[in-house]
Amino acid sequence: MRADTRRARSRATLFILAALVVGSALGPMLWAISTSLKNEVNAVSAIPSLIPSPATLSNYLSVFSHKTFGIELLNSILYAAGAVAIALAVGIPAGYVASRYTFPGKRSIMLIILATSMVPGVALLVPTFYLLDHLGLLNNRFVLLVILASRIAPQTVWFMQNFIDAVPVEIDEAAHMDGASRWQILTRLVLPLIRPGIAAVAVIGAITTWNDYITVAVFAPDTAKRTLQVALVNQVFDAVGISWSFTMAFALIASLPVILMFLLVQKWFIAGLTAGAVKG
Amino acid sequence: MLWFVPVLLLLLTVTLYPTVFVIWMSFQKTRYYELKGFVGLENFVDTLSSRAFWETSYTSLVYMAGSLVLSLGLGVLAALVLNNLTRGGAMLRVLTLLPWTLSMAVVGTIWLWLFNPSYGPISYSMREVGLSPGLMLGDPELALWLTVLVTSWWSFPYAMVIVTAAIQSIPRELYEAVSIDGGSWRAKLRYVTWPHLIPTLGSTALTLGILYLTLITLLIVLTGGGPLGATTTLSFEVFRGTVQAVNIGPTAVYSIAILLANIALGVLYMRVTGRVTA
Repeated sequence: MRADTRRARSRATLFILAALVVGSALGPMLWAISTSLKNEVNAVSAIPSLIPSPATLSNYLSVFSHKTFGIELLNSILYAAGAVAIALAVGIPAGYVASRYTFPGKRSIMLIILATSMVPGVALLVPTFYLLDHLGLLNNRFVLLVILASRIAPQTVWFMQNFIDAVPVEIDEAAHMDGASRWQILTRLVLPLIRPGIAAVAVIGAITTWNDYITVAVFAPDTAKRTLQVALVNQVFDAVGISWSFTMAFALIASLPVILMFLLVQKWFIAGLTAGAVKG
Repeated sequence: MLWFVPVLLLLLTVTLYPTVFVIWMSFQKTRYYELKGFVGLENFVDTLSSRAFWETSYTSLVYMAGSLVLSLGLGVLAALVLNNLTRGGAMLRVLTLLPWTLSMAVVGTIWLWLFNPSYGPISYSMREVGLSPGLMLGDPELALWLTVLVTSWWSFPYAMVIVTAAIQSIPRELYEAVSIDGGSWRAKLRYVTWPHLIPTLGSTALTLGILYLTLITLLIVLTGGGPLGATTTLSFEVFRGTVQAVNIGPTAVYSIAILLANIALGVLYMRVTGRVTA
């Protein structure tokens, strides 16, 4: 009897703790959603309430019809897709060679890639700004794409190397006997086999790039070149003119693609986070 | 090898060249965005002998340490709790991980609104229970701790996921052995779970430490480095120096300080795990 009550009590404690954990993670997001559904007056009422009454979608409509929203959305998509495409284009061949070949100098090359991964973006702000300014390359979309790609390139190489390591080398050898070139082996045989891995790397890279603020804000501050993230922060800077219900709707719209991508690939996302992070 | 050329070209021009260039900049006399000639170690001497540099470094340390303690603590708690649920643990973990996928710009905006001293729910609740909310993020005594809170809300899910993986890799037999010896859940936690978690916590602390050291956007949105410089970290100072561009020599010195700290933490990470950073 006493053991039963004790068990019931510890189960109840566990449920309460679980509710607290999930609630504290989701609570602030729920508040943001609630505010986004309020009209501008209710959003700043003296007694804040979680349930919007009356609920309205007008903030979302205002975001979609805002005059710069279209170009900001387009830039966000363009930068995320472009950076991932460049990172894959340079990362896949490198990852393949890293997995399949040994040659003098390979160690140094891998060390250079490792070293660049330890240079934080913040340490590059002032020199990159100086160089771009003097070359007249600020506010240049292509330059921005290359910079964003360089941030995710090292991890792309390592992930590719790991995925290709898992493909039996006998497949390469058999195809080589049949006269296939190295390029054919990579593109026709190996890549189709690691497609899920490529998708995971692409999504993780796209989320990183989509969420970037600082690179775009510093190197391409032009209104026509900025992303949703930059536009969002600019709203916050305008402390007087800000409409919180509009800004919350904007923030949620800017987050939706990331949340969808995450839910789509959450298994790989979690696998990517924990890849080897646990000491066996 | 030819197939390495594209990635090397990318990293050499966009990452390594500016890294070398920032070192070159730090030895130059600067005025606005002009380099005015070699001055040796003058920028280093000026910066390292200034109060501001050490105050900023101290703020960085406090911010990093505070965020680490809170996010690792919450991460371990969340991992243990959700892992002990018989059903739904995996789904609740996915939901709990959502904050980590949000951008720092979005996280900062949401919390700026939550902390709003006039209309935010937090200041309202404080007034309801008879506390004075004050200026919240506008209070120099409070701003850094609220920033730590937001940083931890955003990043504890990352710690949770890593710790969960570590817990799940512990062999069941070890728990059974404790049960056979009549040990309670407390004994299991202390003698089985905890020793297995220590190395994972070490490597997670280093990964998050690097993140906190180099983070800027959250600070830009929440406090802009203020009030009265209370949340100006080394990285925020680099951002301020870059966009204000009054004198970029000292900013280069701050950049190098962050670079060295990042490399030190990165190398330590490799020593601890025998692996490269994700």
